[in-house]
Formats: sequence, structure tokens, C-alpha cells
Amino acid sequence: MNPTAVFIITYLYDILLLLVVVIGAVRYKRLSTPFRMLTIAAISSLILNILENIFVALYRTNAPIFHLRAIIEYIFYALPYYYLFTSPTTKKIIVFSIVILIPFSIINALFFQPFHKVFPTYVNLPTLGLLVGFSLLLFKQMLHYPSKTPILKQGVFWFNTAIMFYSTTMFLNIGLSNVYINNTALYILVFYLWYSIVYIFTILVGIALLTDKEEINKTNAV
Amino acid sequence: MRFEDIKVVLLSTAALFTLVTGFIIYFVVLYRNKQIQHKQEQEHLQSAFRQELLKAQIEMQEDTLIHISREIHDNITQVLSFVKLSMAMIAGAEEKQRIERINESRELVAQVINDLRDLSKSLSFEHITKFGLVKTIETETARINKSGLIKITLLIEGEIYTLGEQRELVLFRIFQEALNNTLKHSGARDLKISLQYMPEMFTLTLEDNGSGFSFSSLDNQGGSGLKNMENRATLIGAVATIASSQGKGCKINLALNPLEKRLFTDGTHPDSFS
Repeated sequence: MNPTAVFIITYLYDILLLLVVVIGAVRYKRLSTPFRMLTIAAISSLILNILENIFVALYRTNAPIFHLRAIIEYIFYALPYYYLFTSPTTKKIIVFSIVILIPFSIINALFFQPFHKVFPTYVNLPTLGLLVGFSLLLFKQMLHYPSKTPILKQGVFWFNTAIMFYSTTMFLNIGLSNVYINNTALYILVFYLWYSIVYIFTILVGIALLTDKEEINKTNAV
Repeated sequence: MRFEDIKVVLLSTAALFTLVTGFIIYFVVLYRNKQIQHKQEQEHLQSAFRQELLKAQIEMQEDTLIHISREIHDNITQVLSFVKLSMAMIAGAEEKQRIERINESRELVAQVINDLRDLSKSLSFEHITKFGLVKTIETETARINKSGLIKITLLIEGEIYTLGEQRELVLFRIFQEALNNTLKHSGARDLKISLQYMPEMFTLTLEDNGSGFSFSSLDNQGGSGLKNMENRATLIGAVATIASSQGKGCKINLALNPLEKRLFTDGTHPDSFS
């Protein structure tokens, strides 16, 4: 792997994430509650990225941060769904999944996939599956209660698209990483794929934060 | 082998990207169709509501005119004719009788003036706009009680709030229809009207002790009258419950959640046509 290319890709991603955080922070007061949560999610991703860089520099591994990232990002990306769903049952499922996954991720980091050595795929896979499920359910809810605002101007649409895209493609990425972990040339390809996914995801989250308006959500409330 | 592996990675990635993009595009198209369908439904609802509101206004105007015409014919004309006769007889009467007749005529004219004043305040849809549902129902019950046709007890509970001009108009029209039915068909001596203003629920109940009816015995006209009440209630987001059986009177209940946002019925809503 070309270290300069890796350096550029990594830091460009951090800059992109910082830009999204700035958008969220500037528009924070105008955002509805789920998108305020999304801003916090972007902030947590940025902090985790910085921590990851520090860990790589100090300990030559970012696995512990990945353990943290797996659960923290799930919580912050599931919480907007909690506010967006109208069904009390789905809301309960979200809360329940968070309550179950927190101790599970700790147990996993201590016993099944040691936090200093292995990436937390046992946590990633169920959380990504749950996020795909939530995004499909939200698309269904959107079809039941169509808003008057054009779809491309709805923050909800961009957020849900971002989650749908991220969860499905990251699933594939984790699968490919496991298969080609010992094949350096292909692992580079998977590495670039991983960054392509997070780049697109971050851009979509940025669009979601740019398009969301609290008033639109209030007017279109059913 | 290595080339094959690269092909697998690239193809699986491209396939998944295409699948996700295809799904999103399909969703966008589906959503836009739903938006159009929803808009058409809203327009239809708006049009139906406008028609129903207009119909209710016309019916109320007709009722008002009938009431005024009856009052003029049965009351004012009679009293004024009596006054005219009385005045005609003054010429040949003695001084004492003349004063008595003049006083009597003055009292009658004063009564006519009062009746005319009541008539001018008569029930119309402008009355609701101006005074609101509670005042209008109070005026109506006072008028009926004064006529002696039936004894109405009016009970108002809770802190009164407005339900929006259009909703109040439709509610009053349903109330009028129910009241007319009681007066015409029930043979009841007492009617209890209650208005309950709770924070999340408004209810209007009319309960009489008349002959009642069974739903199976209703003819087309009677059945469609009740159906009309239910349809109008639905249009403003209210639920009408009509309960009656032979010999046990009739109870009509209208329940409405004032917090529920209804397009076109809430004057403050941006899509309201008022």
C-alpha cells in the first residue's frame, strides 16, 4: 500500500467528516431532533477517527477503536430512527437492541474478539443488519405518509439512503475483508472499497444535514 | 487466480452498488407516484368538504328563513293585527278605556320589538362566526325553551376553547339536525344537551326521553338523515355515535379530538381554504 495515498485518503476523509460536523453545528438550531442526533453521530465519528490515528501511531493497531466505533456509531445512527419512526413497537425494538448490544459488545471485546487484536465483526454484523432493517422500515413508513416536500429536499430521505447504502455495502466489505485478509493485493482493493463507502456515506449524511428543516417535519407531521 | 479474485471483488461490489442505487431510484419513483396520489386525494377531500360546508350553510340559511317566516306569521303579524284592531277601536272608546288600550298596545308593540330583536339575533352561520358554538347553542336552547315545545337542560363542562370556525359550523349543523329530529319525531318532553371540553377531547351529547326508534324500522329518509350526520362528523374528524331503541329515547354523541390536525377544517392550518 502506498503510504502517501493512504495518508491522503485518511486525512481527506477526516476533512470531509469535519465539514459535515461544521454543517451540522451551524444548522444545529434549525435541525429537527433526529438530525441533531445525526450531528452528534458525525462528531463521534470524527473523534473516533482522530483516536484511531493516535492509536495507529502509538500502538500500531486501531482494533480497540473499532470496538468502540461499532457500538457508539450504532447507538448514534439508531437514535435518529427512534425519533423518525411513528410505530411504538419499532421504537421499543431500537431501545431494546441498544440495551442488548452494549453488554454484548463489552463481552465480545473481552472474550470472543479481543479488543487489542481482532476487529469486532460479531458486533458489526448484527448492527449493520439492524440498520438495514430500520432503513427499509423507514422507507415503508415514508410511502405510507408521503410528505408534500419534494423527496430530494427531504433530509429523512438522504439520511435513510445513507444508512441503507452504508449498511449493505459495509456488509459486503466485511465479508471481503475476511476472505482476502491474507492476500495483500486484494486487501488493498478492499481497503479502497471501505474508504469509497465511508466517503459516499459521509457525503450523503452531509446532504441530509443540509436539507433537513425542523419546520418541514412539523408541517408534514401526520 | 489473482485476476479471478479481483474479478469477484469488483463484480460483487458493482452488483451491490447497482442494486442499492436501483432500489433508491425505484423508491424515488414510487414515492413521487404516492405524492401525486395523495395530492389528488387531498384535493378530492377539500372539494367534498367545501361542498358539504356550502350545503350546511345553505341549510342553515333555509332554516333561519323558515323560522323567521313562521315567527312573522304566527307571532308578529298576529300581535300587530291585534294592536291595529285595538287602535281602530280607540276612536269610539271612553277616556279610561282609551288609556287602557293605548297602554296595552304599547306593551304589545314593546313585545313585538323584543321579538324582532330576538329574530335579528336569529340563528345563522354568521352567528357562529361571531359568537362561537357555545353561545349559539345557548341561544338556540333558550329559544326552544321559550317556545315550550320541549324542556332543554344545557350542561357545559370544562374550559371552553374554539374548535375552528368551519368545524364549529358543521358541528352546529349536526346539532340542529339532531334537535329538529327530536322536536319532529321523538315526542320527548325533556332533552339533555351536554358539551364537554376536555384538553384532548370535545364531546357534544344530545339525549332525549322520547319514543326512540329501532334502526331497522327507519325509512330511507330517516336512515339517510342519520347517515348524513355521521358523514358530516367524519369530514371534520369527529365520530358520531347514535344509540336508540323503541321506547327508550335517543342519544347522539359527537366526539372530536381538538388537537388532531385536519386539513381544510382547521382555520390555522396552512392548507385551510378559509
